[in-house]
Amino acid sequence: MTVAELEEHLAPIRHEYADPRSLILPALRYVQGEAGWLPPEAMAAVAEATGFSQAYVESVATFYDRLYIDEVGRYCINVCVTLSCMLRGSDELFEHIADYLGLDGEGTTADGMFTLAKVQCIGACDRAPCLQVDSGVQLGPLEPADATCLIDDLRAEPAPARYDR
Amino acid sequence: MPELNCVYRHREFGDHLTTLADYERAGGYLGLKETLALSPDDALYAFHRSGLRGRGGAGFPMGRKASFLPKDTGKPTYVVCNADESEPGTFKDREIIEHNPFQLIEGMTIASYAVGCERAYIYIRGEYEAQAQVLDAAIAEAREAGRLGPDALGPGRPFDITVYRGAGAYICGEETALLESLEGKRGQPRLKPPFPAVAGLYGCPTLINNVETLASLPPIMHRGPDWYAAMGNEKSPGTKLFSVSGHVLNPGNFEVVLGETTLRELIYDMAGGLRPGREVKAVWPGGSSVPVIGADSLDVALDYEALNGVGTFLGSGGCIVMDDSGCIVRASWRLAQFYRHESCGKCTPCREGTGWLANILGRMVHGEGRGEEDIRLLESLFGRISGRTLCPLADGAVMPVQSALDLFREEFIRVAHEGSPRPVPMTEAPVG
Ligand SMILES: Cc1cc2nc3c(=O)[nH]c(=O)nc-3n(C[C@H](O)[C@H](O)[C@H](O)COP(=O)(O)O)c2cc1C
Ligand code: SF4
Ligand code: FES
Repeated sequence: MTVAELEEHLAPIRHEYADPRSLILPALRYVQGEAGWLPPEAMAAVAEATGFSQAYVESVATFYDRLYIDEVGRYCINVCVTLSCMLRGSDELFEHIADYLGLDGEGTTADGMFTLAKVQCIGACDRAPCLQVDSGVQLGPLEPADATCLIDDLRAEPAPARYDR
Repeated sequence: MPELNCVYRHREFGDHLTTLADYERAGGYLGLKETLALSPDDALYAFHRSGLRGRGGAGFPMGRKASFLPKDTGKPTYVVCNADESEPGTFKDREIIEHNPFQLIEGMTIASYAVGCERAYIYIRGEYEAQAQVLDAAIAEAREAGRLGPDALGPGRPFDITVYRGAGAYICGEETALLESLEGKRGQPRLKPPFPAVAGLYGCPTLINNVETLASLPPIMHRGPDWYAAMGNEKSPGTKLFSVSGHVLNPGNFEVVLGETTLRELIYDMAGGLRPGREVKAVWPGGSSVPVIGADSLDVALDYEALNGVGTFLGSGGCIVMDDSGCIVRASWRLAQFYRHESCGKCTPCREGTGWLANILGRMVHGEGRGEEDIRLLESLFGRISGRTLCPLADGAVMPVQSALDLFREEFIRVAHEGSPRPVPMTEAPVG
């Protein structure tokens, strides 16, 4: 990701905002889509393309759960554990996935394929218990066996061209 | 069944109105046509006459809020749609966006005409990427057809909409935090006043409304504010969406005329009721930030005043149901964890207090409670958090816990001594 590429991406939307600061979030989302997370070079590129300091850009990025300042796996498995999902088995679903991935709770698998996270209500309580792969469609209701299939399928996929985070 | 698909128009038309042609065939854009025949002030007055109240949680009259925007300030005026929908138990706006996006776009166009806005924003939570793409496509189609763009409100009268994606933060649903986020900052609430109507986005007059509020405008303007005001009761007119989830057999969204349906009907007739042999134990009727109520309140009518009458709020309409297999302390703990995670950290009572609530409830649930001492500690915390913070998130964290303790005190005391065994989740639970 070069600064020029990022600027090219931002050019058509610049006029939509009275203040270029509003471009920071779209820029962060865009560079995260390339790298999968936000390494310091990505923050630096956003800073340069938008005209704000890298420290400021980082202070914005750290506020948001779905902007990753630490490296994550190829796929983020985001399991909702808020009340409606809990009542329908989210904790059991989460533990099953952790076991299947060989993880002791939240974290990233050794092969860098998956990052498993507990997340708060993703607005799909009618599908509880549910999860999201990155920011994809909310999937549910899921039995543990459904989650196993999902993970097997993801493992078989080639690396995505852009991350859907 | 007093169910009427006014905002969920798509339900009358094969479940999808995702192309402009389909939407127009279903009566779409007739509301805008009526609106453009009025002066902006008369349009504002129509909003007011309809009695429509904000559907995002606070229930503030929409027309009144729109009339607070100063005119002729020399600055642009903005309309911002709050599509953050992060309140636990709430997923009603998602269905509007996924199945009926043009009704939201039309509603925003109508509101923008009335307040004189040329560029509006939809702030949508980052987790709704699939839904944001539906909006992007619908907006592109509307632009193609001239419904958005340089002549959207008539020759030479431009109007357009930008979809702005959040990135995972419940607090960005609070209107001033949302504006901060949209301005490219950390999403922390602002001190009010000034209110967004006067100094909102980029310091300009700004109307912020929920998705459902804005999507209610097309039928109001098409069929007339009096038609709308005649539905429901005087203080709570119109229809409201409820999302029902938790221990019900048929979770989903339901649109009802306010005041005409009881909570019991919503749970048993619409949402399929409970498993055989189970009874309702607790309901959070308006999202997780409202006081919880018990089985003795099920006959309450679903409208703002009646729900206040049983000590809770209509809120966002996210109705979470727990049956008698659930533990109220465990449920309260899970909600406290939510608020701890989502506190923006700006105010000490909220940042620290939500952590304390979660810690105490957590140790109670895990059998490490300190008996009555923990109950007293909990009670001493409520007043030190509520009403002492910049935004209502902290009150929203306290209300469900405090009300649960009031209603189920015995159970809290028992759990504080003995812990709470992990329940069998609904899908695997033996019936009866
Ligand atoms: C912590 C918190 C979270 C909120 N989340 C949302 C939300 O996700 N969606 C929403 O429409 N309103 C939310 N609100 C309410 C908004 O601040 C605001 O009242 C609403 O967008 C106004 O629109 P309305 O009048 O159409 O309801 C939230 C408020 C608070 C205090
Ligand atoms: S009450 Fe909580 S969420 Fe609201 S501003 Fe204060 S710390 Fe932030
Ligand atoms: S509680 Fe899990 S999606 Fe809402």
